[in-house]
Amino acid sequence: MGQYKEVFHPLPPVLYQLLIKTIYSVLFSIIFFFSDNQIRFVKSVLWYHGYDRPELYRLPSDGSAGSRELLLAFSWLLHRLSLLEQLLARNRVKTGDQTSVQKAITEIAPEYGLEDRVDVRYLQWLNGRLRFQWRSLHAQHQELCKLLHKIHVFTSGSHMDQILGHFSVTETDLVRQPENYKQLLQLLESETMQLEAFLEWKQLEPVYWQWMVMNQTDFERCSFLDSNIYHTLFFSFPFFLFSLQVKTGGEDLQTEEFSVAARKIQESVELKLLDLTYLCAEKKNKMHGSCRLVFRSKHPASKTGFERSIFKEHVSAVSATEVIRELQMREASLDRELKQLREECRQRLDKIAEGLDGVICISP
Amino acid sequence: MSIVTVQLGQCGNQIGREVFNAICSDVHGTHGLCSKKENESYRDACKERFFCEEETEVPVARAVLVDMEPKVISQTLSMAARSGYWKYDDRSRFCQKQGSGNNWANGYSVHGPRHKEVIMNLVQKEAEKCDRLGGFFTIMSMAGGTGSGLGAFVTQCLRDAFPTSFILNHVIWPYGTGEVIVQNYNSVLTLSHLYQSSDAILVHENDVIHKICSQLMNIKQISFRDVNQVIAHQLGSVFQPTYTAEGGLHYSRNPLGDLMETLVPHPEFKMLGLRNIPQMPENSLAYSTFSWPGLIKHLRQMLIANAKMEEGIDWQVQPPSRLLPPLQPFPNRPLHFNTSIANLVILRGKDTHGVDLGSFQDPSLYTSWLNPRDAFNAWKTPRAFNKYEKSASLVSNSQFLLKPLDNVVGKAWNMFASKAYIHQYTKFGIEEEDFLDSFTALEQVISSYTIL
Repeated sequence: MGQYKEVFHPLPPVLYQLLIKTIYSVLFSIIFFFSDNQIRFVKSVLWYHGYDRPELYRLPSDGSAGSRELLLAFSWLLHRLSLLEQLLARNRVKTGDQTSVQKAITEIAPEYGLEDRVDVRYLQWLNGRLRFQWRSLHAQHQELCKLLHKIHVFTSGSHMDQILGHFSVTETDLVRQPENYKQLLQLLESETMQLEAFLEWKQLEPVYWQWMVMNQTDFERCSFLDSNIYHTLFFSFPFFLFSLQVKTGGEDLQTEEFSVAARKIQESVELKLLDLTYLCAEKKNKMHGSCRLVFRSKHPASKTGFERSIFKEHVSAVSATEVIRELQMREASLDRELKQLREECRQRLDKIAEGLDGVICISP
Repeated sequence: MSIVTVQLGQCGNQIGREVFNAICSDVHGTHGLCSKKENESYRDACKERFFCEEETEVPVARAVLVDMEPKVISQTLSMAARSGYWKYDDRSRFCQKQGSGNNWANGYSVHGPRHKEVIMNLVQKEAEKCDRLGGFFTIMSMAGGTGSGLGAFVTQCLRDAFPTSFILNHVIWPYGTGEVIVQNYNSVLTLSHLYQSSDAILVHENDVIHKICSQLMNIKQISFRDVNQVIAHQLGSVFQPTYTAEGGLHYSRNPLGDLMETLVPHPEFKMLGLRNIPQMPENSLAYSTFSWPGLIKHLRQMLIANAKMEEGIDWQVQPPSRLLPPLQPFPNRPLHFNTSIANLVILRGKDTHGVDLGSFQDPSLYTSWLNPRDAFNAWKTPRAFNKYEKSASLVSNSQFLLKPLDNVVGKAWNMFASKAYIHQYTKFGIEEEDFLDSFTALEQVISSYTIL
């Protein structure tokens, strides 16, 4: 184990760079120069995504040590965020026909204390601006759809792919400006290279995880057994636990404490598996995320979606009417909620107004 | 991004025609004073906004013409076509055989619902012709019969049919000594209804424009056409293309949205006033030169002192000194100082990039709860407008209209107290309660503007 320490020593900056580059290219699109601000940045991003291993946050901010922790963090990100899949999705050659369907996330609004230094009229002002900006965005979206529709209608019947039937925006642009084909070709070639690299990685992946297991298992057992990092890794790589047992079999670790902890982990893994199967079943027919708009003249305004992940072999299609219906139901329920809240507010105001002499409350 | 104009009543149709005329002649004029490329961008942006390009014909204005009588509409259509530069779509009009006799209730409760479907169909057709609908611009008078009653109803229908669109109502404030006895009733009813459905109400006062015509434009016999042309010039100076961001590369494609966002996000404060300088007879233009500092100084004082034009400004009025911390209201504000909520300055012509607008960003000009960073905006273009080498416009959400509004509501209330002429309204379904609702709503607006 000592050997590893020496070998890793010059690596922390490199690993930080790796983390930074990964984070930047996947989660943002900025290129930076290396600085200690970046270390803080890396830590805060990991924290945001739920990485709760305290050793990482205790690493010095000059980037001089911590290669093992960083490697662990990197592997965790790799798995947790599906980094490579996201990179591939981001670097895909765009058809121009994309749109995104977001499932509304119910968040409980945090309780704010009344700030008596802020005039409520200013808040109303800001709220109004937000509303108007949303309207402008809405108009822009409608324009985009209208123009997309025009393209689809004008080019229908021209595509080689009979199922698709019409050109995408990128293809139409190519017809208008054929000299851009070189650029497009380059992009497609680079995408192909990335996909090939990814396939290669997939084949070699087990080697990486085994190597990870080997250099991580000489740690304080208590912290690693409780950390959800290892839960995540266990969850996707059950052989992790097996190799762990194999690895530490030589030492006298078959203690009561160890087997209890191992059983705990096993149970939580099974629970998570159950959870996931349930979620998968629920979401099978629902679209989420990016999808491509395809025009179908027989069934007016239907959409075909391509899954973001490239693993699936079949193409799952969802019709626009379905998505619209779902969104309308969601809108109706939010509307009801809003009305209810407004009514409650109004009643509260009325009660207050009753207590005041000579005051007439006119509700909006 | 396109604006659909709805011209309502005699007033609305006549002004609408002058507006399109002014815009068109500005675009075709050779006094752009800018590069050819700039001129072309300006022209393209303007065309997209107001006109529909037909293949071989002249551009067609994106407008719907509504009136109860056929006479004004046919006049409007033919005069437009005669210009040779633009025209209206012949089918985009609605009129009936008889007028509504200056009766607001008749327009709102009878003619409105009766013809709603036909009118909204016309609007829908115009809206669909737009690749991107930027909103609606309605033009009407506040005090007449058709324009006001029907106009209020149509605005409501627009809001119902297009809940996410921007609606700007341009209203003509009647002469103080107007001819219509019930003009104050009509005004109160119109304004209170518009306040509910519209996003912003841009006001031109007849008295003010009349003065501009006589004192600035030196017109002896002032006709409605003269008044309308001044109004059209002022509106054109607001709605012709501009760059809304510092260092913007393209003309804004969202003028109504940008205007609303900078001036009227607060639902209580929707009244907008408009000032434009310089204003002079066309034949004097060649002999005049203007400097930006001079124009800005005058415009600012017009804002502060609530002056209606660049002559006769009261230079004594000054903003109060800032002795109190920011969040306290100004108790020592002079009574005739015009407090603003938000201001938009639009500069057109030579050397707009170097203009110093710091004087408009003085916090003492504004109400306490809004800082100048949020409250003040400037749009610019190097392209000169309508032969004025330099022109500056101010669209202001301020106490400009507080006194006129208070006047009108006061007079209407006095009439209402003696129930004069109420039967004309109750006859068609506008009850006393509706009047009371309108009074309440406007009193609320007056109070909100007063305590700025």
